[in-house]
Amino acid sequence: MSFQEKNITVTLISFSLILIFYTTRVFQMAADGGLNSTDLFRLWGIVIVLSIIVTIIGMILTHIVSAIVIAIQTGDENPDIEDIKDERDELIDLKGTKITYTVTSLGSFFAMFTFVLGQSPLVMFALLVFFGLMAQVIGDVTRLVIYRRGF
Amino acid sequence: MGKLAISNNIRKLRFYHNEMTQKELADKVGVTRQTIVAIENAKYSPSLELAFRIAFVFDSPLEEVFSYEPKDDPI
Repeated sequence: MSFQEKNITVTLISFSLILIFYTTRVFQMAADGGLNSTDLFRLWGIVIVLSIIVTIIGMILTHIVSAIVIAIQTGDENPDIEDIKDERDELIDLKGTKITYTVTSLGSFFAMFTFVLGQSPLVMFALLVFFGLMAQVIGDVTRLVIYRRGF
Repeated sequence: MGKLAISNNIRKLRFYHNEMTQKELADKVGVTRQTIVAIENAKYSPSLELAFRIAFVFDSPLEEVFSYEPKDDPI
C-alpha cells in the first residue's frame, strides 16, 4: 500500500467516524424533542473543527507510522518515505474530487428540496452537513478503488 | 478494469539495464514506485512527458518502450 493510499485510508476512517457521530447526534436531538438552531449550529461547529483537527493529526500520524514501519523493515535510521504526489496521484485525486463535488451537489439539491416540501429550515441545514461528510467518504472510497483497480 | 491498449517493454528494458529496480527507475523519472508498477502492469497510461522521460532513461526511442494496439477495428 502506497503512502497516498494509507493517507486516504486514515481520512476515510476519520470522516466515517465523524459522519457516524454527526448522524447519531442529529437523531438523538430529533428524538429528544426536535431540532433547535442553537444545538444544531453548535454541532456544525464541532463537526467542522473536528474534521480539520482529525485531518491534520491523521496526516502526521500516517507520516510517523510509515516512518516507523519502514525503519523496522529496512533497519534504516532515516527512512525515505515515498510521500511525493506524482501525475497518477493527481489524476486519482481529481477523479475522487469530481465524485465528491457530484455527491455534494446532489445532496445540496435534495436538502433544498426538503425545504420546498415544507420541512423546517433546520432539516435542510442538517442534511447539508450530512451530505458534505457523505461526499467526502464516497470520494475517498472512489480514490481507494481506483488505486487498487487501476485506470 | 481491463488492460489498456497501450503495452510496454519496461520490465524487459529494466532487466537489460543492469536489472534496474522499479524504485531506481521511479527516482530517475520523478514518480512513485507504485506508478511504475501500474505502468508495467498496463493499469495506467503515463502522460506523454513521463513516457518520454522513461524512454530517455533507457536511451531508447519511444516506440521501443511503448506500443499501441487498437482494440476495436475502426473500419
